[in-house]
Amino acid sequence: MFCRLALKNVRRSVKDYSLYFLTLLFGVCVFYVFNSLENQWVMGALNANERNVNYTGAILQLVDVVSVFVAVVLAFLILYANSFLLRRRKQELGTYLLLGMEHSRIALLLSLETLVIGLAALACGLVLGFFLAQALSAFTAALFRIRVEEFYFVFSWKGVAKTILYFGIIFLLVMVLNVVTVARQRLIRLLQANRQNQSLKLQSVRASLVFFLLGVALLAVAYTLLLRRGLLTIDRIFFLMLALGTAGTLLFFRSLSGFLLRLGRSNQKLYYRELNMFVLRQFNSRITTHYLSMTVVCLLLLLAIGITACSVGVNNTVESNVSRDAPVDMTLRVEDYDYENFAQELPGYLARAGFDPETQLTACASVTRYVMDLPLAQPVTVQGEVYEKRAIEYAMSLSDYNALMAIQGKGPYTLEPGTYGVVEGTEEYQAAHLFWEAGAQFVLNGVTYSPDPDFHTSGAYFTSTIRLSDLFIFPDGVLEALSKEQYNFCQYFLAGDYARDADAAEDALWASINSLHTVIAQNQGTQSSSFSLDTYLSLYAEAMGTKLLVLFLGLYLGIIFLVTSAAVLALQQLSQAADNVERYRILSRLGVEERMRDRSSDIQVFLAFFLPLALAVVHSIVGMKAANDIIAQLGKLDTVASSAVTALFILVVYGLYFLATCWSSRRILRGL
Amino acid sequence: MEPILTVSHLQKYYGSRGNITRAIDDLSFSVQPGEFVGIMGASGSGKTTLLNCIATIDTVTGGSIVIDKQDITKLPRKALSRFRRERLGFVFQDCNLLDTLTGRENIALALTILRRPAGEIERQVAQTAKLLDVTDCLDKYPYQMSGGQRQRVAAARAIITSPALVLADEPTGALDSKSARLLLDRFEHLNGERGATILMVTHDAFTASYCRRILFIKDGRPFTELIRGNDDRRAFFAKIIDVVTLLGGDSGDVL
Repeated sequence: MFCRLALKNVRRSVKDYSLYFLTLLFGVCVFYVFNSLENQWVMGALNANERNVNYTGAILQLVDVVSVFVAVVLAFLILYANSFLLRRRKQELGTYLLLGMEHSRIALLLSLETLVIGLAALACGLVLGFFLAQALSAFTAALFRIRVEEFYFVFSWKGVAKTILYFGIIFLLVMVLNVVTVARQRLIRLLQANRQNQSLKLQSVRASLVFFLLGVALLAVAYTLLLRRGLLTIDRIFFLMLALGTAGTLLFFRSLSGFLLRLGRSNQKLYYRELNMFVLRQFNSRITTHYLSMTVVCLLLLLAIGITACSVGVNNTVESNVSRDAPVDMTLRVEDYDYENFAQELPGYLARAGFDPETQLTACASVTRYVMDLPLAQPVTVQGEVYEKRAIEYAMSLSDYNALMAIQGKGPYTLEPGTYGVVEGTEEYQAAHLFWEAGAQFVLNGVTYSPDPDFHTSGAYFTSTIRLSDLFIFPDGVLEALSKEQYNFCQYFLAGDYARDADAAEDALWASINSLHTVIAQNQGTQSSSFSLDTYLSLYAEAMGTKLLVLFLGLYLGIIFLVTSAAVLALQQLSQAADNVERYRILSRLGVEERMRDRSSDIQVFLAFFLPLALAVVHSIVGMKAANDIIAQLGKLDTVASSAVTALFILVVYGLYFLATCWSSRRILRGL
Repeated sequence: MEPILTVSHLQKYYGSRGNITRAIDDLSFSVQPGEFVGIMGASGSGKTTLLNCIATIDTVTGGSIVIDKQDITKLPRKALSRFRRERLGFVFQDCNLLDTLTGRENIALALTILRRPAGEIERQVAQTAKLLDVTDCLDKYPYQMSGGQRQRVAAARAIITSPALVLADEPTGALDSKSARLLLDRFEHLNGERGATILMVTHDAFTASYCRRILFIKDGRPFTELIRGNDDRRAFFAKIIDVVTLLGGDSGDVL
């Protein structure tokens, strides 16, 4: 009997519960998708390659941490939604009390209802999440260009357990809240809930005009600051900018309705048309209670848009960075070797350790880079400063550089005797090539070298995880003739492209590097060298890991913020529709048709949904423009594609809530 | 003259077979243009049901209601809304005005939903407000007005569309006697000057004494009819009291 009442209640208030249910469903679904990542086949495929384990682990860990945050956000949302539902049912609760039901029984009834809704949402959300998780896997696979050999459905028990645990706690909180709320209710207040006057605070139209202009001005200042200074200069002014932006947004929404009203009234034709006047007044009367939430929703939407757009957009940037930083398949760096024939013997060591450069590399070059001070023939002025010498510069002989370039299919370059060239590296803000431009002359072993006006190249000369500094190129024999005291140290590099199966060659190379120490120790009796290996594949994997991490977290948080803001708006609109029943009853008596009434209700919902979105879009366009200026330094943020993806995604989720709200609002007002 | 409202053999039953409440049972009467008719009866006599049926808010079980040559019991739902906003005006006891709109906007609303041109609206509102003596309330919100002012604004909204029939349901029910007098004064004025046809439901003899003719109903059937003729209001009031006593209505309702 009792259970039946609870079930009946749920079924009866389906129209109230539909949005609550939708929100729970989304929450559960997203939560499951990201917490089942570990068991998804794409993660399995990624982990099959041992080099990927590091960052997949990092991703899973971060998702774990973020999930706690997400759960807290969802908990607040669900509690808010629940309290909204409870408010709607005050009179019903009053009736139960009047009939002599005890507080505890009512609390139990509500808990049962929560349980029913919660279980249904969990079940549906998990099913939906199950399918979405496959979609995410497929999407990830496409990103990683993983060939899908076996596509199979995975049901992550761990993900399910975690989802149930977190949402179980949330539902428990909801039940506790219900009990507390019910216990505090007094019968008389419940029965008269519908008759209580809502206080109506109306603001003066003139004040709102002033507020509006002030708000727009504040936003303009914040925008200017942002565009002038960029996104990443985090100092006091940055926070001032944030504060200005927030205050501007707040004032904007506080005054917008008044401003619209003013605007509407100045156009009599529009104002005195059907229910326009009513809609504008209605909107204006609500704003005193809604502007705060509108601001919060606008900022949440901004976060959602920004995070999603940037996480999708950063992708392409990262990818182009890899091709730029890794022009060749592999580069082995040996630091500070101090014995003569190392360069000649290294390939032999490698071959003995399991990787034969002769057969497994198509093109390869073994080169030496000197790290040294370069004395200037006469002081040179560069960017307003006078220099006597260049300390700690990188230098390489011409044939070495040509060998490196040959792998990339460039060159060969030539140098006249007595001249030097310069290679602009990938590192930003390097000064070395400025000396070449300034015509600086260096003196080595008594010979003066002047800049060769035709020798100025740029770009990475081998693969490296760290940015490459500018490099001076000297004719052959010059550097080799230096004595050990004339340079700080030199580095040996072996760079090349793999011959056949890149993956197998890569694995063999990493294995050989690990045993290289032992091999060298056996042959030379010394271990003074240190190695590092940078390969295209490892750079690619790392970049992809970053990309995946940013993408996953971005999508995760983006969706949650989006759902939260849409749900808050939807609930608010519904509670407003419930308050408006009386007004629409009057309108209906005056002869307002259903069509006109539905339109007026839709416009109100539209305003509530569209205005925060509109401002958030403006905010994010400015923000992305500022962000782009920074990201442009790393590469080009593909704003068009990422914006399109983001827009589509937001339109779907937000639009779904918008439609559901319109529908529910209409239902509340129907049959007057 | 062609009557503006003809109610013939009207029946309104509630409940289903075997358990029927006859709220209105075979009621017939007609109202001529320019009449000010009151409907009186004790609580539960079916007077509000009658008004709701005429107002097209409620449906009838049998009989017909012809307003302005149109049988409203046969109109489809959508046409009813249209009929309401074009041919009828309403003044109710409470929940009359929209609290978010000013007096001017409340009155104008009746015209905007008729899609009247904006220029005409302002002029008409000013005119009608003057007629009902609410010019100084035009820029006030309902909560800033007195109860009487609110009802007069509602009356202005009811007549601004020049409806065929103004329906008033206990318009003085929530008013003090002074405000009630003022409102009824205006009703009389509207009836006399503009020739507005008013049908007013009340159980208050004083309020009813402003009418030119009063229909008494009891248990959903016509009881009797009083015509003021050349009586002054005091004499008419005394007659009404007599009938009310005869009706056996609770004397507490009598002023």
